[in-house]
Amino acid sequence: MSKSFLIDTTLCTACRGCQVACKQWHDLPAEKTINRGTFENPADLSFDTYKLVRMREEVINGKLNWLFFPEQCRHCIEAPCLETAGDPGAIYRDDKTGAIIFTANTKRLNAAEIIESCPYNIPRKGPDGTLAKCDMCIDRVENGLLPACVQTCPTGAMNFGDRDEMLALAKKRLAVAKKKFPKAMLIDPDDVNVIYLVAYEPELYCANAMASNAVFDITRQVALGRMIRPLTNIASRLL
Amino acid sequence: MNVTRRKFIQITGASAAGLAVSGLGFDLTPIKSHAQMLKTKYAKETTTICCYCAVGCGAIVHTSKKGDGRVINIEGDPDHVINRGSLCSKGAALSQLTENENRLLEPMYRAPYSKKWEKVSWDWALTEIAKRVKKTRDASFEHKNAKRQVVNRTTDIVSIGSSALDNEECWIYQAMVRALGLVYVEHQARI
Repeated sequence: MSKSFLIDTTLCTACRGCQVACKQWHDLPAEKTINRGTFENPADLSFDTYKLVRMREEVINGKLNWLFFPEQCRHCIEAPCLETAGDPGAIYRDDKTGAIIFTANTKRLNAAEIIESCPYNIPRKGPDGTLAKCDMCIDRVENGLLPACVQTCPTGAMNFGDRDEMLALAKKRLAVAKKKFPKAMLIDPDDVNVIYLVAYEPELYCANAMASNAVFDITRQVALGRMIRPLTNIASRLL
Repeated sequence: MNVTRRKFIQITGASAAGLAVSGLGFDLTPIKSHAQMLKTKYAKETTTICCYCAVGCGAIVHTSKKGDGRVINIEGDPDHVINRGSLCSKGAALSQLTENENRLLEPMYRAPYSKKWEKVSWDWALTEIAKRVKKTRDASFEHKNAKRQVVNRTTDIVSIGSSALDNEECWIYQAMVRALGLVYVEHQARI
């Protein structure tokens, strides 16, 4: 049984506990930023920032809404990054949890191609060409702990558990949210292991909240990559 | 060509099916050598109370058992009745109170009218603070107020406590300043 997150944005207060807990557990350094007139900080995900609470001010039905979206890797069930890489030494799926894991070997991949392949625009390149993103706190999960972001969440917006439990919870929470927010929906629940519940249209929350049409021209290459993958696997094990 | 994620899955699914037919007949699953050991596995666990706001969340401090005893990790205590393992962004950053290269490690002193800070010894700093507190306190101490009521207080010294103190440290601290006769005692986290 793979693991899943349910992120109920209707409960998120943007305290950013998840963002800080993620940095803390992974021993990632802070980034120097400038005031951009928003509490959203840093400006984007990076090699050192796997999780970022997006904050958007949107006028909906004549009323100002502050929309929060704790953005992170979705750990796709069919992960385009993994397919594009075709190199299990660099990007692999952990069978027990369903986590998509980037290793230090991502250095030997074409970073631009991997980043381009992600429908949610998540992976980021480090100074030496290594790619980084959320690792589902696989070390914690394997040892029976919750991911750092879920453990720290004070409001219950972040949830983690077996996939069927999370899907059931998602259904329950959606029914509750629908009463107050008729447009409430789950984002790509069948395709990803990090399921977001949003109160309004996903595109209001952040540019890549939902798998979009932003993936260009990778298909043929990816399809081909998948066909010849066994060969590249042999090659990568010989090398 | 625009390809939506759904289409993408269909395409890769189809190519996977093609591959299954061609089947190579031997297992190519890579050997995964991820030694997933918790960084806190051999750490000592101590409970504490978050030093910031008045909620008083419980936290677990993981410290190294290897000589230096430095903090490895601090996270919410799941057994704590108030926060049940959760912490906000300030609480989640607790380990930065000790593990932070920007921390001052020695007392710094800026003399009156001076523009620069200088490193001084703990001995010198504590003695100097004690001297000045005593001087101001003795000079301003009121035994009785205008109505001849016993007050035993000084209103010339104000204490604004640090948020970086935990519950127990705060108690000791306020006991000390009240013993000196301070009545203006405030804690930063409440301001």
